[in-house]
This record gives sequence, structure tokens and C-alpha cells, in this order.
Amino acid sequence: MTLLLGATTVGLILALLALGVYLSFRIFNFPDITADGSITLGATVTAALIVAQWPPLLATAAGFAAGMAAGTATGLLHVKFRINGLLSGILVMTALYSINLHVMGKSNLPLLDQKTLVTQMQSILSPLLGADDFSLFGWRIGERDAAVLALVSGVVAGVGMLFYLFFRTEFGTAVRAAGDNPQMVRALGGSVDFILIFGLAVSNGLIALAGSLLAQYQGFADVQMGIGMVVWGLASVIIGEALVGTRSTGIAIAGAIMGSLLFRLIVAIALRWGLNPNDLKLVTAAFVFIALVLPGSISKLRSRRQTAR
Amino acid sequence: MLEVDSIRKTFHPGTPNEVKALRDVSFKLEDGSFLIIIGTNGSGKTTMLNAVAGSFLADSGRLRLAGRDITNWPEHCRARFIGRVFQNPFSGTAPTMTITENLALAARRGLRRGLAWAVPRRLRAELRDRVQTLGMGLEDRLDNEIGTLSGGQRQALTLLMASWLKPDLLLLDEHTAALDPKSADQVIRLTKDIISRDRLTTLMVTHSMQQAVNLGDRLIMMNRGSILHDFRGTEKARVRPDELLARFEDVRRREQLDAAVAGMLEKSYV
Repeated sequence: MTLLLGATTVGLILALLALGVYLSFRIFNFPDITADGSITLGATVTAALIVAQWPPLLATAAGFAAGMAAGTATGLLHVKFRINGLLSGILVMTALYSINLHVMGKSNLPLLDQKTLVTQMQSILSPLLGADDFSLFGWRIGERDAAVLALVSGVVAGVGMLFYLFFRTEFGTAVRAAGDNPQMVRALGGSVDFILIFGLAVSNGLIALAGSLLAQYQGFADVQMGIGMVVWGLASVIIGEALVGTRSTGIAIAGAIMGSLLFRLIVAIALRWGLNPNDLKLVTAAFVFIALVLPGSISKLRSRRQTAR
Repeated sequence: MLEVDSIRKTFHPGTPNEVKALRDVSFKLEDGSFLIIIGTNGSGKTTMLNAVAGSFLADSGRLRLAGRDITNWPEHCRARFIGRVFQNPFSGTAPTMTITENLALAARRGLRRGLAWAVPRRLRAELRDRVQTLGMGLEDRLDNEIGTLSGGQRQALTLLMASWLKPDLLLLDEHTAALDPKSADQVIRLTKDIISRDRLTTLMVTHSMQQAVNLGDRLIMMNRGSILHDFRGTEKARVRPDELLARFEDVRRREQLDAAVAGMLEKSYV
């Protein structure tokens, strides 16, 4: 049970990562590898500020803001200096490694006995529950687990909702159109450069928020925690698309969240069945490779038949 | 009024692929005028249109539109005053978005885009009315993705989008060249309607002699980045397709002659 609960919680936290990756990869078709650095950045900034006795909410917001700054940097490198998108991300990600070490002052920062969003949530919940653990559908659930789950569910639901509403605003539709057909957006008076920088900032802000919550949940920030996260996020998005399709933005957003949950559950079960944790990233990469190539080659065959323009 | 003053543009300067696409082109386009630019491939007619639209900045020369100097404005800033229809029917619309969403974007061409709803209720009603004027039955498919429509339908919608807010200048870049004859006729009819209804100042590039003769009140022939001839007023009204062809043929023969002479000279010296 703890296994399922833990997987659900991490899945929900990483749903924010999936939403960020959805924005950069799917909306803009921009392979933004900054994510590996910005998820760690969110964790380290929040952890360092919490250790410095900042209120957890502010520390979390600062983590989000730091991620936005990282995304803005990648966007500026790409837009203003015409550096290839993938390379822009790699540059910022590499730079972030040093920055993350500086922020923490060491490679690992524990948050034990610190006031975090999780402990705050716990103190809100505990008078309601009245006991250290309680029973839900016959399962024993610890107070801390319940607090984390309530917290991340709220955050993810809120962010998903905001995301959905944003894409229906004037600016939000321009953002979607900029990914779909930048030439048209320019002809209709939208600055595609600004929109792309904005999009990458929001994307990395969300990814940093995931890192910030992850650090508070697991009780430490680590400079290595971001490795391979882009691929994890992409895997979640792809699973989500396979689950519910891409008919509309709302569905795609729900899909990314569900994909992240399902992916974490599958991983948890695979690990329980004896998958060597060292092989996890290899298996994930192979999965994403297959998922990327399959629909691509199918539609290529189809378009080869159709278009002669 | 559009004022084009000695616009020059060279692509790939200093390389073997150097192309002098525009060589000090100048003309003035009065308000309400409908100018057709015609020319062979590589004559610079599309480059001229792109220079006005702001797809690139000219190497030298000045551009003024309605009294503003737009020479150094980026494309998206010029879009506030310029509506544009592309040659490729897929270029003017966002395929995975609905007809409604595409038109809503056009309804705010050049305006600030904030966090208000993209498609408020009153816009929806206006949208239906204006799409109905196209006479294509698209008013019943407003929530379909635009990618599911035909090239002609998409081009008609792009035309509607470009003129949704009355532009100071409408740019049409061979906008029927990629369509089948029937759709092309339909889009041309629509073009004429919209231009005469809103009295739009229009610059249209085409390679169809038929369109060049039948449409517009002014005709500029371009060749090798320069203006070859400027037909205006009664001269434009009287011009015939075979006359245009003859002029192009004449230029071609002269160029061939020049090339042949150059070749002979080169041989005799070696």
C-alpha cells in the first residue's frame, strides 16, 4: 500500500514536469533539455531557502521563479543569439549544475526537521484526522502520506485548471498558434520570439515547481536528482496521449497528468517485480524511443501516400 | 498610402549564390488603389511583397505606410497595419485549431493580447455572420479544426482573417496559385468583393496574365529585381494578355542576346 501511495504522490508531483514538457515539446515542438537542470534548481532553491528559515510557501514560489529564469535564459539563447534549441538547453542545463551546487553549498541538502509545505499541511490536517494514521477503504494511511497527497493533488489540480483556462485566453490561443504555425502568428501581429521565451519560462517554472515539491516530499535536495527527467516527462506525455488522445488541449492536459500517474505506478510495480533500479533509465529511454518512432513512421507512410504538394 | 523608396535586397551577398533580388525599386501606392505585380520566376515580385510585409529588412531604401516610417519595423509590428494572404493555403491558418479560434486570433490582429477570453459570446455571433458571407457553408463547421478543410476553404478564411480588421494595406501573394481552377475562381471573386466593399489598398502578386489583366487598377511588370513597366489608368484598363506576353518575350530575347554576345566575347579572348 505504501508503495502505491508513494508512487501516486510522486506521479502527481511529476505531473507538473509532464505539463512543462507538454508545453515545450508538444506545443512548441521545442526539445527543451533545460528541464534536467531546472527540476534540480527548483529543489535546491527551495531547500536552501527553507534551511534559511524562509516560509515554505515563499521558498516554493522562489523555486518556481528560479525555474522561470532558467527557461527565459534558454529562450533568449535560442531567440536572440540564434543558437540551436537543443544546444541552448544543454548550455543552460550544464550551467545550472554549477549553480545548483552553489545554491546548496554542497551536493546534497537534507530537510529533516525543517518546516516545509508538507509539515504545514500535516499540521492543518492533524486536528481533522485526530490520529496519527487513519483507515481508508480498509488501508492504513499515515498522516504524513495523507498530507502530501492532499497537497500535491491540490497543486496539480490547480495548475492543470489554470493551464486549461490559460489556453482559452487571447494570449493563450496565440501561444498555441505560435507552435502550430509561427508564420501566421507573425502575420497577425504576435511576436513569436516573445511567445516562445514566455512558454519556455512557464514550462521550466512548472518543472522547477515539481522539483521543489519533490525535495519537500522526499526530505532532501540532491544535485543529481534531475538526470533523465526530460525523458521521464516525455514518457508521461506520450502515455497520456495514448490513453486519451490529443483531441483538445483540455484532454491533452488531463492526459499528461494521468500519464505521469500511470508511468510512476508502472515503474513502482516493475521495481517491485525485480527490475534492477540501475536499468530504469535505460528502459525508460527505450520506451520513449519506441513511442516516438512508431506513430512517426506510421504517419510518414500515410503522408507519403497522400501529399504530392 | 504605401511609399516604396529605392528598396534594395541582395540574398547571400559575397557568395557564388548571390542574387540581387531587388535593385532600387521605387513606387507609390495611393489609398484605395489595387496594384497587381506580375513577373517571371525570380523577377523579385514575391521578394517585393515580403519586403513590404517585413519578412526581412531591406539592405537599403525606405518604406512608409500611411505616413509612418516602417523601414526597420519587425514583421509582427507591421501586421498591425497590414493584412496578408500567403501563396500556400496552409501558411495562413493554424491547422490544429478550430475555425473559431483562428478567426478570433485575426480579430485581434496587431492588438494587445491579454487574458480575456479568446472567443467571447458576442464575437461568436459576429463570426457566424461573417463566415456566412463566404457562402461556403463553413458557418456550421466553426468548431472543426481548420486542418480538415480544403485549400480553397482555408484560403477564403485567410482572406477573411486578413481583412477582419480593416488593414491599411492588403498583401496577396499569388494566393490562388496553389488552388484548383474552381476554388481559384471562387477565391478571386471573394477577393474582389472584399476589396471593393472595404475599399482596401491592395498589393497583389500573381503570375497569371489573366488575373493581371482583369483585376486591379494598376499593373507593375517586374524583371530581375527592377520595375520593367508601370501600367496605370487607361493604359492599365486597355492592356491585353498578349501584349504582356510580348513584352516579357522581348526582354527574354534581349537577355539571351546579351548572354550570347558575352559568351562570344569570352571565347574570342581566350
